[in-house]
Amino acid sequence: MKGFLLRLAAKLAAGLTMVFTVATFTFFLVHALPGNPGDAAYEGYVLGGMPPELARAKVAVVYGFTSHEPLVDQYLGYLGQLLHGNLGVSISYSGVPVTDVIRAAVPWTVLPVLSGLLLSFLVGCTAGVVAAVRRNSRSGGLLSLSGSLMAGVPSFVLALLLAFLFHTLWNVLPYGDTSDVTIAPGFTAEYLGSVATHAVLPVATYALLGYGSWLLTMKSSVASVLGDDFILAAELRGIAPATRMRYIGRNAVLPLFTTLALSVGHMFAGSVLIEDVFDYPGLGNLLLKSIGNRDYPLMGGAFLLITVTIVVANILAELLYSVIDPRVRR
Amino acid sequence: MTDPTPHHDGAATAGARPAEVEIRDLTVVYRTEHGDLPAVSHASLDLRAGEITGLVGESGSGKSTLALSLLNAVPAPGRITTGSVEVAGVGDVTRLTGRRLRRTRGSALGYVFQASQNSLNPLKTVGKQLLDLGRSHEVEDLRGLVRRAGDLCERMGLDADRVLDSYQHELSGGMRQRIGIVLALVLNAEVLVLDEPTTALDMISQAAVLDIVRSVHRENGLATLVVTHDMGVVSEIADRLAVMYGGRIVEHGPAGELLRRPSHPYTRALIGATARIVGDPGLARALPGQPPDLTTLARRGCVFRDRCPLAMPVCEESDPALSEWTPGRFRACHAEPAPADRAAAVPAPRTQDDPIGGRP
Repeated sequence: MKGFLLRLAAKLAAGLTMVFTVATFTFFLVHALPGNPGDAAYEGYVLGGMPPELARAKVAVVYGFTSHEPLVDQYLGYLGQLLHGNLGVSISYSGVPVTDVIRAAVPWTVLPVLSGLLLSFLVGCTAGVVAAVRRNSRSGGLLSLSGSLMAGVPSFVLALLLAFLFHTLWNVLPYGDTSDVTIAPGFTAEYLGSVATHAVLPVATYALLGYGSWLLTMKSSVASVLGDDFILAAELRGIAPATRMRYIGRNAVLPLFTTLALSVGHMFAGSVLIEDVFDYPGLGNLLLKSIGNRDYPLMGGAFLLITVTIVVANILAELLYSVIDPRVRR
Repeated sequence: MTDPTPHHDGAATAGARPAEVEIRDLTVVYRTEHGDLPAVSHASLDLRAGEITGLVGESGSGKSTLALSLLNAVPAPGRITTGSVEVAGVGDVTRLTGRRLRRTRGSALGYVFQASQNSLNPLKTVGKQLLDLGRSHEVEDLRGLVRRAGDLCERMGLDADRVLDSYQHELSGGMRQRIGIVLALVLNAEVLVLDEPTTALDMISQAAVLDIVRSVHRENGLATLVVTHDMGVVSEIADRLAVMYGGRIVEHGPAGELLRRPSHPYTRALIGATARIVGDPGLARALPGQPPDLTTLARRGCVFRDRCPLAMPVCEESDPALSEWTPGRFRACHAEPAPADRAAAVPAPRTQDDPIGGRP
């Protein structure tokens, strides 16, 4: 138990260091980007047909608060605010605190990503067990082949393909936004149903993206457990097949939990592309828009949130690991 | 051993007690790209209740394959092609399939793995695996099963409560080996197969494990087969001895006599290659040449002829059959048994020059 707490503390310390590093990097990186919010807005107004003088005047009014302090002072101020949980005020959503903007977007990323990930993990691992056990038969070969194919498809290709097939071509699933705009949000069956159908395409994309690599990883893990002595020993003791399958499954899935934690971060990062394809207003979409608008505070906040998610997922994986592996537990 | 009643193929030994296990003409082949290669060829052997049979041979001699075929568990691509393994109260194990085969394994036939092998699920306590075993064999009284396992543990000098609550990684090699024996015997197996029971154990644990094997064997009146490459182990606990080479049983008989007066040239070489604690270690003679593997095994004639000091032309031609050359003792060799072997009913005194004693 003591060893476990020590490891947990180490993980936490490493996580905090990572959060701090990412906060620092994004701060300076974002400021090193060419252009600034004022210029971006000015160009936008001019392109929108506004006379240059008027545009300049409007920028001066709207973005007048843009800091002219030295960068280091801005950075220290940013860190100080960060410690108080204050991420600043969004520029593109003028006047709205970044935390509020992010809070509105987070559920639309977290829920689809997690359910897609869980789905692909369950389906991929189950298929991996079957593929490993039947690796010498046709069905096992076909399963492995499906895994190899799916593992090679880039995320945006898959997203575009699904959007094209299920929305454009067959029009069985809705596209864009989180629910039908004509339905008032609330705890009603109509609204929830609309949310669910709108989430199908992004969730399916996340699930299909993970499926191939889970299948292949699980297959090789099961194949190695199948060669372990204790599986033969269980067979020679006359242990029932279902029990033996449980022995195999639990031992084989163990090393995959580390990968699962890492892939949470991967998926969140991947949501940038996928939400853009589906025009789904989650965190990834928000991040893309904030970059387009040079909304520094929002960008920093979104990056930071993705980092925190990865760190938390890692710590959760560690906790989970120690629950299921007695060699870590005691 | 004075009444050599001939068995149906003349290969088995005679004895007052009926055999618990009768292996007859057993052949196991491995399917490879070079064709079907025999790992065990026409082996016949009896295991009797109350007797410990030692099965010795080098790596690759087929002894583990033979042991696994007792449970009809030869790993693919191997398969049993001829012969039978009759187990008392079960029937021919090689004919069993599916559920009946599974239920026979672990209940009538107990198999104990090498201590260095991890024969336990690392993610479950020993107690939970014991319950899995009970449920798999549809034991109604699981409490009784745990009690019986506890008794066996205590008899082997294990703290039952602690052990049943432990995971594999919390147990030493000697403890794992004992738990392997507990799990093999807890469902009242009458046949116990131990694969290299002392390999990878330190000397003290080896002695302890052999003691335990001996005592559980005696207390439960088991028919025990000990598979090993260690002549020290068999000389310590075996009542009978079978020597395997190239998939064949080349010699077979009462352990004491066979060790004192080995008759087959391979057995002699094997014993001659064992260094002794007393005397000159230089006396140990390595056997020249390499043991055959499945691809280099002679397809015709005696499998040992290439390394045999007594090889004759006939050895090229025909494979010697295992036959009883003196009451109770069997060998598969074309060479005449040395007269000294036949005559010596009394153990010859061991000398420094001849640590085995009674060699021609």
